[in-house]
Amino acid sequence: MAKLTKVQRRKKALGILGNIYSVLIYAVLYIPVVVMMIFSFNNQRYNYYWNGFTTQWYGKLFSNDALIGSLWYSLVIAVLATVISVVIGTLGALGLKRFEFRGKKLVNNMLYVPIIVPEIVLAVALLIIFMNLGFALGMGSILIGHCTFCIPYAVVTIKGRISGDGDSLEEASMDLGANRMQTFWRVTLPSIMPGVMSAAFLSFTLSIDDVVMSNLLAGAKNSTLPVLILSMNKTGITPDVNALTTIMILVIVAGMVLSNLVKGRLNKRVPQ
Amino acid sequence: MKQLLTGILSLALVFSLAACSGGGGSATPAPNGGGSGNEAASTELNIYMWQQYISDQLISDFEAANNCKVNLSYMSDNADAITRLTAGGGQEYDLIMTCDAYMESLVAGDYVQKLNLDNIPNAGANINEAYWTAKDYCIPYLMNYIYVVYNTETCPIDITCYNDLLDPALKGQISTIDGARNLFPIALIALGYDPNSTEESEIAAAYEWLVKFNENVVAYGNAEQNLTNGTASVALTFDGNASWAMTEMGENNPLVVAPFTSDAVQLGFDLYVIPKGAAHVDLAEKFLNYICDPQVMAANLEEYPYSCPNDAAVAAASEAYRSDPARDFSYKENVFFQEDVGDALVIYNDYYQKLKVGE
Amino acid sequence: MKKPIDDASSLQAINRRRDVRRKTLPALAQAGPVSVWMILFVTIPMLFIIYISFMSRGVFGDVVYEFSLESYQTLLDTTYFKVILKSLQVAVFTTVLCLGLGYPFAYYIARKPPEVASKLIMLIMIPFWTNSLMRLNSWLLLFQTSGPINTFLQWSGITDHPITFIYTDALVVLGMITNMLPFAVLPLYSTIEKLQKSLLEASSDLGATPVQTFLKVTLPLTFPGIFSAIILVFIPSLGIYTVSDVLGGGKVLYIGNIIKNQFGSIRNWPLGAALSVLLLVITGLLIFIYTRFAKLEDMEVV
Repeated sequence: MAKLTKVQRRKKALGILGNIYSVLIYAVLYIPVVVMMIFSFNNQRYNYYWNGFTTQWYGKLFSNDALIGSLWYSLVIAVLATVISVVIGTLGALGLKRFEFRGKKLVNNMLYVPIIVPEIVLAVALLIIFMNLGFALGMGSILIGHCTFCIPYAVVTIKGRISGDGDSLEEASMDLGANRMQTFWRVTLPSIMPGVMSAAFLSFTLSIDDVVMSNLLAGAKNSTLPVLILSMNKTGITPDVNALTTIMILVIVAGMVLSNLVKGRLNKRVPQ
Repeated sequence: MKQLLTGILSLALVFSLAACSGGGGSATPAPNGGGSGNEAASTELNIYMWQQYISDQLISDFEAANNCKVNLSYMSDNADAITRLTAGGGQEYDLIMTCDAYMESLVAGDYVQKLNLDNIPNAGANINEAYWTAKDYCIPYLMNYIYVVYNTETCPIDITCYNDLLDPALKGQISTIDGARNLFPIALIALGYDPNSTEESEIAAAYEWLVKFNENVVAYGNAEQNLTNGTASVALTFDGNASWAMTEMGENNPLVVAPFTSDAVQLGFDLYVIPKGAAHVDLAEKFLNYICDPQVMAANLEEYPYSCPNDAAVAAASEAYRSDPARDFSYKENVFFQEDVGDALVIYNDYYQKLKVGE
Repeated sequence: MKKPIDDASSLQAINRRRDVRRKTLPALAQAGPVSVWMILFVTIPMLFIIYISFMSRGVFGDVVYEFSLESYQTLLDTTYFKVILKSLQVAVFTTVLCLGLGYPFAYYIARKPPEVASKLIMLIMIPFWTNSLMRLNSWLLLFQTSGPINTFLQWSGITDHPITFIYTDALVVLGMITNMLPFAVLPLYSTIEKLQKSLLEASSDLGATPVQTFLKVTLPLTFPGIFSAIILVFIPSLGIYTVSDVLGGGKVLYIGNIIKNQFGSIRNWPLGAALSVLLLVITGLLIFIYTRFAKLEDMEVV
C-alpha cells in the first residue's frame, strides 16, 4: 500500500480529532437527557435521588390527562409559532436585506428589543395591552407572545445566510424568463435554506421551552407543559414528567430513523 | 428540504401519539354557563392555585356532585397570582389562591369580591377564627409554618433559636426559603424587633444579621431535596416540605423540628379569593363550602398532609396525620403573621438585593 | 451638449420610476409583515414600558400615573451597577466559551455531506426540545452529594468524603454552556456551510498554510455567522437567571432576577420598567460599539 502523504496524514489525524471532539460535545448535551430518562424509572414521589427501579410512572402517565394535554397544547403552539415566525422571518430577512424603505432602521432596531429585554417585560406589557383591548387570553395570545420573540431570532439567523451575491443569481433567473414567484421558490429559497432550517429549529426550540409568555398570557383552561413543570417547583418534579419526556424523545428518534429508512428506499428506486 | 420533511414527519408522529392518548381531555368544548342569566347554574369552574396541593379525588367528587367541569391551572410563584389579579386576566378565573400577606392590598385595590358567607356555612362553622384574616374576602385553605428542621446525625450543633443559625459551624449547611418578606422577619425576630417593622434602621440591622446568615447558606429553595440527599443538614422551610422530607427518610428519620424556646415562627395561609368579574360565583361558593366540609378536608389532608386551619377537619383526620413528626412541636401558638408593609416593601427589597449582590 | 444629459437624466427618472413599481410591491410583501408585527407587538408595548418607567409605585404596588423620575434616581444606587457588571461578566464568559466550543463543532458539521450534516444538526436540537428546567435538574441529580458521581468517586477510593459539586460556579458555567451552545452553533453552521470549498482549495494551492487559510479566508468569510452567534448568545445570557437559580442555589441575583422581582413579588413596575430601559440602552450601546469596532456597518444592525 502506498504511504500516505504528510497532508493526507494530517487530514486523517484532524478527522479523528474532530470525531472525538464532536462525540464529547454531544455527550455533554445528551447527559442531562439520559439522566432524565433514567429517573423516569425512579421509585420516588418526587425525583430527589435514586430510590430503586419502577415502571409505575408510565402507567400513571396515561391516566394523567392534564399532563398529556399540556404536551399536546405546547406542541400545537410550537408548530404554529414556528411556521408563522419562519414565514415572516424569511420574508423579513430578505426584505430588510434587499430593500431600502422609510422606517427600516426602526424595524431593524426593534428586532433586537425582544432579544435584549427580559421576556417578563414584554409579557407584562402585552398582557396589559391585551386586557385593555378586551382580547381574550388563550392560545392566540400565547402565540402572539411566542412569535414576538421567535421572529427576531429567525430574522437574525436567516440574514446571516443572505449575502449580496444572491441578487445576481436572481437577476439571472429573471432574465431567463422566470417570474418573481418561480425565482423565489427555485433560486432564493434553496440558497438560504440552511438559514431557514436553523431559524425553524431555533423558533421551535424557543417556543416549546418557553415559560414566561406562556405563563402570563395563558387563559384559564389550558397551560403548556413547561408552565406545568415550573409550577411543580414548590415540591419537586414528579417522575411521570420524566416518563412523558422519555416517550417524546423516543418517538422523535423513531420518527427520524423511520423517515430515513423510507427516504433510503425511495432514493434507491429512483435511479432504476 | 429533506431535513424539513424529517422534522415534520417526526412531529406528526409525536402529535398522533398525543392525540390518541390525551385527545379527550384537551378537546372538551368549553360550555359557557356564566353570562346566561341568574337562574341557570354554572357548569364550569376555573381555579388558579398551587400544583400538588389538592386531591384529584376531591375535585372529581365535586364535579360529579355538581355536574360541572373544574379547570385547574397552576402558579409557580405567589407573584403569579398577584399579577393575575392586579394586571389582568383575573376575571378568567373563579377562584384564585393567594396568601394572607397580600390580602390587605388586594382588598384596598378592589381586586377581589366580597364573599357571601351565608352561602359558605361550612367555613364559619369549622375554620378557626384566629387564622382567618380579611374574613369577608377569603377562605383559608391550608397553612404553613416556616420553621427550622435539622438532621440530628449530621448537624454539628443543637438549634433552639434563630441566632444559632449564625454559628460558624454551620457554614455551607443551611438550605433556606427565599424572598425578602420571608427572610427579613426571621432576622427581625432574632434581633428582638417587630417582624413587620417599617423602620429603616431596624431593617438595616436585620440586613447585617442576614449577611452573617448568608455565610452559612448552601442554597435558597429546594429544602426537601437538599435535606434528603445530604447536601444540607439544616433547613429553614415550610412544615409541609419538612413532612415530605421526613417521610422520605423512612424508618430511621434523623430529621427533627428544632425545639425553639422563645423565638416566634412565621405562620402563613394559602387561601382562596374570588376575583372581581369572575363568571361562576355560584359554583365557586359551592366549591368553597365543599372544601370546608370536615370529612372532605380530612380526606384531602391524608393526601396532602399540610397544617390546616379547619379545626373540625383536623379532628376528623387520621392518627397518622395528627401524629406527623413535622407538626409535633411545642410552640405552635408562638407565631407571627406576615403583614402588608406598604411602601416599606421597597426598603426591604433594596436590602434583599444588597444581600444577594454582595458588597 | 445639453441635450444628451437631459436625455440621460430623464431616462434615469423613468428607470427610477420603473424601479419603484418593480420594487415597491415586493418590498412591501417581504418587509411588510415583519415591520407591522414589530410595531404592533414590540414598539407599542415598549413605548408603554418607557411611559411606565416615568411613573411611580403606589403604596400597594399599583402604578401611580404621575410624572416622576424616582425610578431613574433609584438606579444610581451602586447595587445596580454591581448587578449589571456581574451579569455582563457571566454573559461575556458564556459567549466566549460557546463561541470557542461551538466554532470547531459547527465547522466539523459543515464539512460533512449535507445529508449527514442535517442529521447532526437535528441531533443537537433534540435535547433542547425537552424542558430546560428538567435538564438543569438532571445535573443536580447527577452531581449531588449522594449522587452517582460522588458514589463512584467514593467507591473507587478517589475520595473518602463526598465532593461538593452542586451550587458551585463551575456547575453554573456547565449549565450555561449546555443551555446556550446551539444558539452559537446554528448561525455558525449556516455561514460555514456556505463557504465555498474551492476558495479554501485555492488558498492552499496558492501556498497558504492551513492556519493562514483559516485566519485570512475562513474567519473573515464566516464573520456574519460569528456576529449572529455573539448576538444570540451574549444578549440572552445577560438576562438569564434560571441557570444560577437552579445550579447556583439562588445565592446570586442577576439583572434578570431583579427585573423579574420588580414585576413580580415587589410589584414596583416603574422601577422594573426603568431597569429594562437601562438594559436596553446598555445593550444597544454595546452592539453599536461592537459593530463599529468590527467594521460591520453593512450588517445594518444599529
